[in-house]
Amino acid sequence: MDTTLSETQRLLRDSLRDYLANEVPFDRIRDLEREGGSDRALWDYLQGAGFLTLPFAEAHGGEGGELTDTAVVLEELTRRACIIPFLETTASALAIERHAGEALADEVVRGVIGGAITIAPALQGATPSNGASPRVEGGALTGERRFVDYGAEVTHHLVEATEDGEPGLYLVDARGEGVATESLSTIARTPVAHCTYDAAPARRAGNADALRFLRNAGRALCAVQCVGNAQQALDMTVEYVGMRVQFGRPIGSFQAVQHHCANMATQTLGARFLTYRAVWRLDQGIATDRQTAKAKALASRAATEVTMQAHILFGGIGYTEEYDLHFFSRHGKERALAWGSADECLRLAADTIDEVQPWQ
Amino acid sequence: MEFGWNEELEAFREEVRGFLREFDTPALRKELANRGEAAQLGPEQTRLREALEERGWVRMCWPEELGGECKSQWFQFVMTEEFAKREVPYGSGFGTMVGPAIHRFGTEAQREKYLPGIWANDITLCLGYSEPNAGTDLAALETLAVKDGDDWLINGQKLWTSAADTASHVWLACRTDPDAPKHRGISTFIVPMNTPGISVRPIMTMSGGRTNEVFFEDVRVPSDALIGEVNQGWYIIANALDHERVWIGAGGGLRHIFDRLMAHIREKRPELLEDDATRRRLVELELDLDVMEGLVLTNASIVASGDTPTMEASMSKIWTSELRYHISNVAMDLLGREGALTEEADGLAPLDGELERTYRASPIQRFGGGANEVQRDIIARRGLGLPRH
Repeated sequence: MDTTLSETQRLLRDSLRDYLANEVPFDRIRDLEREGGSDRALWDYLQGAGFLTLPFAEAHGGEGGELTDTAVVLEELTRRACIIPFLETTASALAIERHAGEALADEVVRGVIGGAITIAPALQGATPSNGASPRVEGGALTGERRFVDYGAEVTHHLVEATEDGEPGLYLVDARGEGVATESLSTIARTPVAHCTYDAAPARRAGNADALRFLRNAGRALCAVQCVGNAQQALDMTVEYVGMRVQFGRPIGSFQAVQHHCANMATQTLGARFLTYRAVWRLDQGIATDRQTAKAKALASRAATEVTMQAHILFGGIGYTEEYDLHFFSRHGKERALAWGSADECLRLAADTIDEVQPWQ
Repeated sequence: MEFGWNEELEAFREEVRGFLREFDTPALRKELANRGEAAQLGPEQTRLREALEERGWVRMCWPEELGGECKSQWFQFVMTEEFAKREVPYGSGFGTMVGPAIHRFGTEAQREKYLPGIWANDITLCLGYSEPNAGTDLAALETLAVKDGDDWLINGQKLWTSAADTASHVWLACRTDPDAPKHRGISTFIVPMNTPGISVRPIMTMSGGRTNEVFFEDVRVPSDALIGEVNQGWYIIANALDHERVWIGAGGGLRHIFDRLMAHIREKRPELLEDDATRRRLVELELDLDVMEGLVLTNASIVASGDTPTMEASMSKIWTSELRYHISNVAMDLLGREGALTEEADGLAPLDGELERTYRASPIQRFGGGANEVQRDIIARRGLGLPRH
């Protein structure tokens, strides 16, 4: 048991933090949010610097590292409000690496590491989809998926679909025939698409186990994004209230303000533990749906409540477009809903309450 | 990062479980049920305590100069956890807090005089800290110790001195320089409770437990009752508190209450589980317990890695103490009127009356051991680095 960062993780975090602070100004995020699309220059950097290799097997050209290493990287990217399909591609490629046939796994992982492949999961969310659920017949996939993060930006979709009534995952060339995307505008202003598949050529990439892995991986890593948003808002708040002077002294010296900060820090740390443990358990193959859902529920709440409390403590300056705090409250709220909101996750936990075992 | 237990710790856990199977006997249970607030251990607890000492488990994680083996703090954690699971008290009392302080700040002669007795539990301690005018603001304490020849003459009053009626000694904080700034005029003493001039008056609390007020009237103690330098007391007290606070948040008992509540509902009130809102309230309690576990393990992790937690100990203290109230409150609400039944209610009380007992005893967890408001100050100032008022 060790909740502290390993040496490798510290190095990863620090080097990426330096790079992002110098090379990814918030105005670039503003531009991306306005114009749509993802940060290709940043993706190229991550690919070139080897950040994409971390969780994959050495046999496929990967680093063979812990999934928590990747989570540390994802948290740093979140803390700079970066707009790239890092979670989506990582979770999808891991599902394929661990659950698809060897040939496809090798092809996809090498493609991701080499920068040629990016993937968006297109799963049935807890929120009902209006369109027809995708089905596969004779290698062609037809149906709709809503809320596909980076659906219009990536090279491939990993679609949850049924074939002969059996659920599975199917890899679809997002730029190939039969795939149409329509972008959805959200509070985060990050790319989300409504995808329509009309007899799109699809390759089988996993069974129900793969699907379950992908759902939990997405959920656990999304919890990391929630924690990252909360942590960033907390750190910005602590810095600001320590400096902002009213009534002749820093407002951070008022006990009322201090206690808000103490509560924000406690909530963030609690969510952090549960989140990273969920990622670690997933990596070890011992994650349960229920544990992952509970971790996401806590992280979702932290992302919402901590970032919103930050606004209250910042006052007017944090409310402006030109200040950077809104990135974390908007992105944080959107991530709180993605891969299962707190309520959706708690419903899952409540419906499986029979699984609760006495402490042993 | 690593969220599992290594083989060595798993093996040790098994060893502790075997130990508890042997010593957690009906006789021990009976003794524990009737122990009240006594600091003195009964025969069964003494047997268990001696067996622990024999295995070297009491001090295994302490530095070698304290008779320890310098093992990773996780051994201590695992042992505490296994004891908590069976609800067997660890039975070391305030000795684990005062012993290291005497070792660090006392003279060679004082170490020889007190430490063997403390380790063997022949010397049991109560804490003479709080006073009528010095609670959360402990440094405002007024009990006066005045040098009189070679001796010290002590006059004053202590309050909330739990175990004063059973302890052999009091670990006493006194003012030795009334003119110095309040943190710089305090000294620490160790005083036998049978010294003439000490009287103890019981105060019964709403939890059913006993605490005391203790009066000191011209209590004469020899110069070697002073531990450390004159007026160094605040530093010694703070140091001793740090030593103790590390594990204070380990709230195993709360997990038990939840387990028992689930068992009670499944067995006696299964209709409750048909209700969506009830299931959700139970899941919310589970989440709170998960967070508690997370804060406790994060705190322990920092200690085990050799660092000193700044705010994490305060976080787990706050969370655990507030959850103690919350879990008993929600459980009583869910069960309705039967939630108010006490253990005297002819065997009808859910969880043998543990819910109402926990609810009644919960306030002290929140205001005691450093009030939660002070803990939040510590998080903000020491942890987050926010400026002082």
